[in-house]
Amino acid sequence: MADRIEGVKKLFTSKSARIDTNRGDAHYETLFQACHARIEELKTQTPREDRLKIDDLLEDQGVSRRDFMKWASAVTGMLMLPSSFTPLVADAALLMNRAPVIWIELSDCAGNTEAILRSDGPKIDEILLDIISLEFNETIMSASGHQAEKQLEDAMHTFKDKYLLFVEGAIPMGIDGNYGTIGAHAETFYDHLMRISKHAAAVVAVGSCATFGGVPAAAPNPTQAVGVMDILKGKPLINIPACPANPANMVGVIIHYILTGQIPELDSLLRPKFAFGYRIHDNCERRAHFDAGEFVEEWGDEGAKNNFCLYKVGCKGPMTFNNCSIVRYNEGVNWPIGVGRGCIGCSEPDFWDKYAYERPMADANIKAPTGGVEKTVDEFGLGLLTAAGIGIGIHAAASLAAGKKEESGES
Amino acid sequence: MITRELIEQIEGEASVSFEMKRDKVNFATIAFPHFRGMERILQGKSALDALVITPRVCGICGHAHLMASVRALESAYAHAGHAICLSHKAQTIREFTLVMEMIQNHFKWFYLTLIPELIKLRRTSKNSTPLKGAFAASLASKTLASFAGQWPHSSYMLPGGVTCDPTHMERIKSQGYLKELIHFFETETLGTTLQNFLSFESCKEMNALQSDISYVEQALLASGMHQKGFAYDRFIVLGEHSFSTPSKMKQTRPFLVESKYVRVKESYSPQEQTYAKNALYKNDYYETGPLARAMTAHVPIIRNIHRRFKDSAYSRVMARIVELASLLQHATELLKVVDPTETSLVAPEPIHTITAEGIGIVEAPRGVLMHKVSIVSGVIHRYEIITPTQWNIGSDTKIDPTPVQQAMIDVTKEEALFIFRTFDVCSVCTTH
Repeated sequence: MADRIEGVKKLFTSKSARIDTNRGDAHYETLFQACHARIEELKTQTPREDRLKIDDLLEDQGVSRRDFMKWASAVTGMLMLPSSFTPLVADAALLMNRAPVIWIELSDCAGNTEAILRSDGPKIDEILLDIISLEFNETIMSASGHQAEKQLEDAMHTFKDKYLLFVEGAIPMGIDGNYGTIGAHAETFYDHLMRISKHAAAVVAVGSCATFGGVPAAAPNPTQAVGVMDILKGKPLINIPACPANPANMVGVIIHYILTGQIPELDSLLRPKFAFGYRIHDNCERRAHFDAGEFVEEWGDEGAKNNFCLYKVGCKGPMTFNNCSIVRYNEGVNWPIGVGRGCIGCSEPDFWDKYAYERPMADANIKAPTGGVEKTVDEFGLGLLTAAGIGIGIHAAASLAAGKKEESGES
Repeated sequence: MITRELIEQIEGEASVSFEMKRDKVNFATIAFPHFRGMERILQGKSALDALVITPRVCGICGHAHLMASVRALESAYAHAGHAICLSHKAQTIREFTLVMEMIQNHFKWFYLTLIPELIKLRRTSKNSTPLKGAFAASLASKTLASFAGQWPHSSYMLPGGVTCDPTHMERIKSQGYLKELIHFFETETLGTTLQNFLSFESCKEMNALQSDISYVEQALLASGMHQKGFAYDRFIVLGEHSFSTPSKMKQTRPFLVESKYVRVKESYSPQEQTYAKNALYKNDYYETGPLARAMTAHVPIIRNIHRRFKDSAYSRVMARIVELASLLQHATELLKVVDPTETSLVAPEPIHTITAEGIGIVEAPRGVLMHKVSIVSGVIHRYEIITPTQWNIGSDTKIDPTPVQQAMIDVTKEEALFIFRTFDVCSVCTTH
């Protein structure tokens, strides 16, 4: 299995992660019609009686129609759809209580549940996540113990082959899976996942543990933890890595599912391209300082006080594919680079062993999936004027190589 | 006859096996059936990696783990002859974000665990309002994120200080969120002003209030929780902070503590595999957490409650709510004294020059959290984590029950499950 896991990681190139945002009017027109028909059909279905009505709840929380439409247009942009889709996205959001979701926790810290379902509170993303038809989530539901198990059985039966299964946490495979058991019959996490995913419409792995094994899989991987993609076969699977995963990306996946009935376009690591198509570095607020060769050389120095680029103190932004530099965390309040900490690459496979490392990447012996930029940053420092030129040169060479690979049949 | 009950909504799962006698609990053992091996993972990694990995032990108190880690590293620096002196600003910001994490934890516990469980116990049809808890916790984590970058799983502390260099803007933004949070607390939770509530010296003064806290107080009394859930009436506080008084207490008598006497032993769980270990001071079990902190710090209202109801479930719950109030007050004070012109961080010697042992102790939302590290040329040789739930929710034999086992004896099973939750359990921390 280890070889296969390594192989999957090697498949990734920055070019293959990019989403084509301009496919021509004809494509979007057909897509629009298909989505429109689907939304109209969903509207005729009645939600389950015990579900909260989303429009009522938004109103209770003081979210005006205007704010809601603003949010819908932002989500449309995030999903990389033309702005004409905004009304459809808004409709899809209001229909979120038609999408049954089951959420299970395996070998984890409950951090994603904390980040998404409880702590980020009533911004629209979170209101929606609170009231999507969450049929089962053991950390937030009111039932517990045997009662909770029965609720899970009921949900699986009622929504057979229709529910989205969200999985948080890795799967420990050591000692026959006995590093993690759950429920009245002490079912192993592995058996639990297999049983519940069997009749799911699609599985969404949330957070770095569920996607790539995460911190539990860090060397020497004491419990032989693996991600969902390593063991689940024959099911549509979407990975939303990061530690914790960003609520905005989860809402994006669900809305996309409601809107189109399909899962969004994925990269070779099964991450939705709309969220993971670009690097932190590409849209970083400190990017100008990188280009100008202005770096924090040591924690707490003058550069740190002036918000210079954190590359030399170990920021992994240039090799980390995620949209945090745009979406940020905690309702957009801040993100790690905003407090001078640098990116640890938490949405990349192996970050726990390689990327977390507190050393400049130039010395870190990490092979970036994109080659280029991250070579030897000191070279950039040699001449401020030429730095940007070298950067662009390396960029250009790297993207050229990636382009060639694509032509030779790589998808 | 032994019956097994599952406990959820505690960041993971725990199970309690009850041995009943005439409808009352005669004895109970506790199992935490999952394991990740964090201490083993840390071995052989760069000591600074601990700052990224240990916060991920826990999704709800990761910040406390970060602070314990950074304190352990700084203590190793000191033992290696390079004592680190933090600026007043770095100290204040660390303290502030730690306090905000406690606040979000207490809000979640109050609205997502305590009130729903109390409604269940009372078998009433009152509506619980979990979204209130989510709202308050979100404000608290935004306040925190202004300085720490994100919550959960932030890593903004480093040996020598903090990486953030906030301007007045961040401080004012943070103050704004905090004000909004206090307003919520006053109108929804308390039903009076924070100042007025903090001046209370007896819980009888709460009778006049009409709010979530008065509901809780009355429901606890009505269900007899002031006469149930007694542990050992022994308390321990080890973390040094602006809001804590390290000490151990037997009833109301304080004694000196030294962290070197803290030890762990294997859990006793004959019914089921468990990965938890129990924490003790010398050979005794102690309760840790908000009640312990209030007792050692002589908080008048809690000392008064303790005089009447000892360490009952009622006292434990009220201590956590009173702590929430005083921490909100304390956070406001801390923000006032953050001086943006001071230095955030003074970089210490490179980590690879350090070979030493270190210990980091903090007060986490649930009580004493200890990290012990041994570093050889900047690489972790050994790492040990002892979490608050290991103190409160250990599982031992009938001869030597742990605080929670003691507290569950001689009540009905429903009451025992409620008492279990008054300790505020964190399952993922316990086994780590």
